[in-house]
Amino acid sequence: MYGSLDISTSGMIANRTRLEAISANIAGSDTILNQDGQYEPFRRRIVTLAAGDPSGNSDQGVHVASIDLDNGPPMMKYEPDSAFANADGYVGYPNIDIVTEQMNAMEAQRSYEANITAAEATKSMMSVALQLLA
Amino acid sequence: MIDGVTNADAIPALERLMQFAGQRHRLIVNNIANLSTPNFQPSDVSISDFQQQLGQAIDQRRAQYGASDGGLALASTDQVEVSEQGMTLHPQPVGNNILFHDGNDRNVERTMQSLVENFMTYRTAAQFLRNRFDLINTAIRERV
Amino acid sequence: MPDPLGLLGYAAGLNRTGPMVPLRGGSEGPAADAPAGGFKQMLQDQIDQVNELQNDAKHAMEDLAAGRRDDVDSVMTATLKADMAFRMLLQVRNKVMDAYEEVKQLRI
Repeated sequence: MYGSLDISTSGMIANRTRLEAISANIAGSDTILNQDGQYEPFRRRIVTLAAGDPSGNSDQGVHVASIDLDNGPPMMKYEPDSAFANADGYVGYPNIDIVTEQMNAMEAQRSYEANITAAEATKSMMSVALQLLA
Repeated sequence: MIDGVTNADAIPALERLMQFAGQRHRLIVNNIANLSTPNFQPSDVSISDFQQQLGQAIDQRRAQYGASDGGLALASTDQVEVSEQGMTLHPQPVGNNILFHDGNDRNVERTMQSLVENFMTYRTAAQFLRNRFDLINTAIRERV
Repeated sequence: MPDPLGLLGYAAGLNRTGPMVPLRGGSEGPAADAPAGGFKQMLQDQIDQVNELQNDAKHAMEDLAAGRRDDVDSVMTATLKADMAFRMLLQVRNKVMDAYEEVKQLRI
């Protein structure tokens, strides 16, 4: 029974990580400078989930396999007056679509809530079994 | 005598049902945790197979012991491995033939339904089991 | 007066016109026929009846576990009836034992 709680918690952690990555993507959707002030458009974070839970040494549950940076080309906008324009007058902006990020956020939230429901069911089952004694 | 008390009535059958529901809960919770994992195949065991095995064991017990009671000999299948203390489940992937872009076979509604049904089965078996134990307790105590 | 086990009229040996039929019109009281085997026989009949009820409840529960029936409510009522009958019998048995103890104490 305690193993079931581990599985649900791993699901909650994985989905929360996804939501955090999505928040970072939305926040950085217009950022073209990195923290040193250099020109480096913000690259989208992609979270990849995989089955299994290495931290708990179990093959059930889910964990974040990797957080990758998107290698796609930036979105070019025509701004010839900008200091960071290239030879053709284009500036590269992060290629982040707010609508896509919001859809992903909804799905991550739904998965999170499903894991909470499963954890509640586990708790109820444990207490039902304990009532056998009382 | 003690065997007649510990294996009395419907207690062995309800015990096995509770064990099965408890083990199956882990499978369903794993499916829920992996709702968003790419290329994941939700897995489950066949309930009807298990109930058929349980029915056969119950019939065998009735034929063997008749009016008195004895132990329940539940046979193992390839999906449900039965031992003295409990059981181990070997689940199979259950595909819904509808694949999402991430290769996951999920079906949220069915998974949630299985969660609730399994929980209710567990709870019903536990309540009935408690009722049987209370009855034997009443008989031993001689106090209503 | 309701008399499910039919003990009252029998034990006192009163002239009875017949057992009180329950409002729902169920089967007649178990002691409707003329008392033939005495108190022991009547008690034995009651025990058999309770045993049958318990077997019905056990059968119903096992069928529910094996998936042969899915109506939890009727299994529940069968179990409750069996338990009620058992507790009634247990109380009767306790009273009989108490009466026996009391009789044993009598000094002749």
